[in-house]
Amino acid sequence: MNDGNVVRVKNLIKDYGAKNFKMRALKGIDLTVYSNDFIAIMGPSGSGKTTLLNILSTIDKPTLGEVFLGGRDIGKVSNRELAKIRRDKIGFIFQDYNLLDTMTLQDNIALPLALNGVSAKECIQRVEAVSGMFGLGEHLNKYPYQLSGGQKQRGAACRALITGPEILFADEPTGALDSKAGKDLLECLKNINESRNTAILMVTHDPFCASYAKDVYILSDGMIKCKISAGYSRKEFYDRIIDIQTSMGGDFS
Amino acid sequence: MKMMELAFKNFKSNMKSYFSLIISLAFTIIVVFDFQNILYTDTFKMLGEKNTRQIHTAVSAISFVLVCFIFFFIWYSTNVFLNRRKKEIGIYIFMGFPNEKVGRLYMIETVLTGASALGLGLAAGVLTTHLFQMITLALSDIAVDIDFQFTLRPVLNTVGIYLIIYLIFTLKGYVNITGSSVLGMITGARQNEYVRQNIVLLVFKTLLGLGVLGTGFYLAVREGEGGVESQIGIVAAVVLVTVGVYMVFGGAIPFIFQKAAGNKRFLYNKQRCLWINNMIFRMKKNYRTYAMVCVLALCSVTALAAGFAMRERYDNIMKFNSTYTVQVLSSRGDLDADLNQVIKQYSEIDYCSQIQITGLEGSLVKASENAGKYAFVSYSELKDLAADIGKEFSLKEPDEGQIVRVTHMYLFSLLTDREHRKMEIGGRDYEQIEETDISYLGYLQDQVSFYMVNDSEFAGLQLLGQNLHCYSYHIEDATAYQNIKEALNAYMEKIETEGGYIGIVSIDPGSNRIYWVKVVFSLCIFVFLVFILAAGSIMFLKLFNDSFEEKERYSVMIKMGFDREILRKSITAELGAAYGIPFVVMGISSCFSVHALGMIMNTNLTAIHVGSALTVLAVFLVCYLVSVSSYQKNVGV
Repeated sequence: MNDGNVVRVKNLIKDYGAKNFKMRALKGIDLTVYSNDFIAIMGPSGSGKTTLLNILSTIDKPTLGEVFLGGRDIGKVSNRELAKIRRDKIGFIFQDYNLLDTMTLQDNIALPLALNGVSAKECIQRVEAVSGMFGLGEHLNKYPYQLSGGQKQRGAACRALITGPEILFADEPTGALDSKAGKDLLECLKNINESRNTAILMVTHDPFCASYAKDVYILSDGMIKCKISAGYSRKEFYDRIIDIQTSMGGDFS
Repeated sequence: MKMMELAFKNFKSNMKSYFSLIISLAFTIIVVFDFQNILYTDTFKMLGEKNTRQIHTAVSAISFVLVCFIFFFIWYSTNVFLNRRKKEIGIYIFMGFPNEKVGRLYMIETVLTGASALGLGLAAGVLTTHLFQMITLALSDIAVDIDFQFTLRPVLNTVGIYLIIYLIFTLKGYVNITGSSVLGMITGARQNEYVRQNIVLLVFKTLLGLGVLGTGFYLAVREGEGGVESQIGIVAAVVLVTVGVYMVFGGAIPFIFQKAAGNKRFLYNKQRCLWINNMIFRMKKNYRTYAMVCVLALCSVTALAAGFAMRERYDNIMKFNSTYTVQVLSSRGDLDADLNQVIKQYSEIDYCSQIQITGLEGSLVKASENAGKYAFVSYSELKDLAADIGKEFSLKEPDEGQIVRVTHMYLFSLLTDREHRKMEIGGRDYEQIEETDISYLGYLQDQVSFYMVNDSEFAGLQLLGQNLHCYSYHIEDATAYQNIKEALNAYMEKIETEGGYIGIVSIDPGSNRIYWVKVVFSLCIFVFLVFILAAGSIMFLKLFNDSFEEKERYSVMIKMGFDREILRKSITAELGAAYGIPFVVMGISSCFSVHALGMIMNTNLTAIHVGSALTVLAVFLVCYLVSVSSYQKNVGV
């Protein structure tokens, strides 16, 4: 990690398509995420939110520019090292949870640790600790099909956090949840960000969800158009996000 | 679009997914046709009527086993096929098609698939049957010329058997569709997947399964007294072992896996967490496949062991029967010098023996194994004879009232309890204390029920029966056999006129009397190949299909940064268990089935058993490696 930053992006460009028909999805993004940051990325459809998230989380590769994760340029590391970075430094939460329906919630949460060769004793202790933080202690023996959407997403968050990542990437984490479940999840994420100093970078179209972040970046046409930082209250921050959305127009979904 | 056109269009567009079904059904048709063809061609007629009759009996028995196998195979494959198509069928129902109409559509498609398999199977069967018979004869070590023959009867039999079974399951599919709900159909592909099963039910199934399996094993290895009871015992053992294997896979195996998954200290050990949970997730759906593969592998090991045992017995019987070339029975004990002289005109004598025999009519003897004639020899004379011809003799001298059975080498017998049998001779009770199948008296021993008693008992029996002298010779030059036989006949005619001739027993060294055993050996090898290929391909296809369902799960894990190497190891372990567990259960079960076979054939089959099991292991290993490679490729790791 350099100067406390977890992710540093310099002049990030991403093109899609064939040689004669290229579409530039990201047009030179500069962004630095520090260890205690909680960032929400918003923007209209096709603005490049998911592309940015995919590149930062190493799922996709940039066309040009540099992406540093934990001080390493991900464009210059081998696939094996990239997998290691992904495993040790990054956590993921997907909109559709992606819990494995073949195993219990406890096994789902423990899986990243077990696969990394962490001792069974430590796996059990860490699962108990993190599931307690997300209020899932009573549901550990249940299978995903026995859980509600909110419980599943909190379970997915536990799985993402169990390895103690430096940054958590969340792609529309509340997209499939009702407002109560979404709020519970966001409260949990906020607590984790504050208590553990885990950076969170979340893509969302929901201003209410974004209002839990410390900073909101608005992306449009492949560029960061503006950054809004939280103020004295979440309500006030939410209003400002709505104002910016309204002023920019477009479909923020 | 008419129903027929729609069905045909569906059939054409789904050809890729139908392909594996058509090929596997065609394979079963080829096998049935090739076996049926043996019954209706003249290939084996040159081996004589007795051999042909025995070969036909063996082929009929094997055909029955194959028909049973095809019944279950078609049941399994049409079920897999229906489940795979349920979602699509559900959409038709959802779109407003009546269930009956969709059912008819499914039936037409299934009939098209079945007809394609039948056409392909018959064509390939007709083309390969000549090759099949050539290989059978070559494996049997029988040199006869065979011509390509085609008769309609095996075709009609094969078509009849196949159509009856296939139509039963096509109708079953139709009934299934007409009685299903839209939701049931749309979720059809996943309907059999449950995660954990009720532990009490599993314990019950486990105990019941082990009980049934144990009873099957007991019936297989218990000593039988022959007759209908033993036959029923063997059939019951086969049924109980098959049912027991299904119950073990439905109860004990999921129980063990669920217990393993419950113990987190055991579970959280690298990829174990992943593959054990995957096994449990699929167990309810897959256990029948594991059980079927296990039973097929068990059948294949037993078939191969039976084949080799038959071959070994054949060699031993031939060796047994050719202990002597000619044997002369006479009431006179002074023919030794004359007989030597007659034989030596044509060939030198390797070795010879002479012994006194007392023959008793069947009416004087009461025994569980009824024979027309009984013959008795004394302990001392048999011991001397063994020394003369260099045979092992470790029998102890029987006491008063005791007998030792000097039996022949038989192919198989359901009578496996060979000691402590009682018999009554001339109103006195005797107990059989031992049995030997060493050839002291050669072919004569094969033809008459021989017993050994102590010298004083023998003297007593001599008073009851007919006393004979047996002169036995083994000649050096086998080609002189016919001349010697004629010369002996002429000599014996002369003796007969003097009132001393009783009989002459000879065995042609070039006789093909039991050639059929060698043919059955080859057929057993084919049955082994059919079963083991079926077992390997069923498991391979099952895992191949599963891999497509797992693709999404693995892509999530890759996205989350799980090490591909560990995911590959997890697949290796999971598939290893899928192949390994049926192999282990088969290995344990085959100990009993091969032991039972060994008892029936009165031979030690340990080496053959190990060899057969290793062959199955080699086939499984190849299938396993191909499965692992294709699975990893399909899920993208």
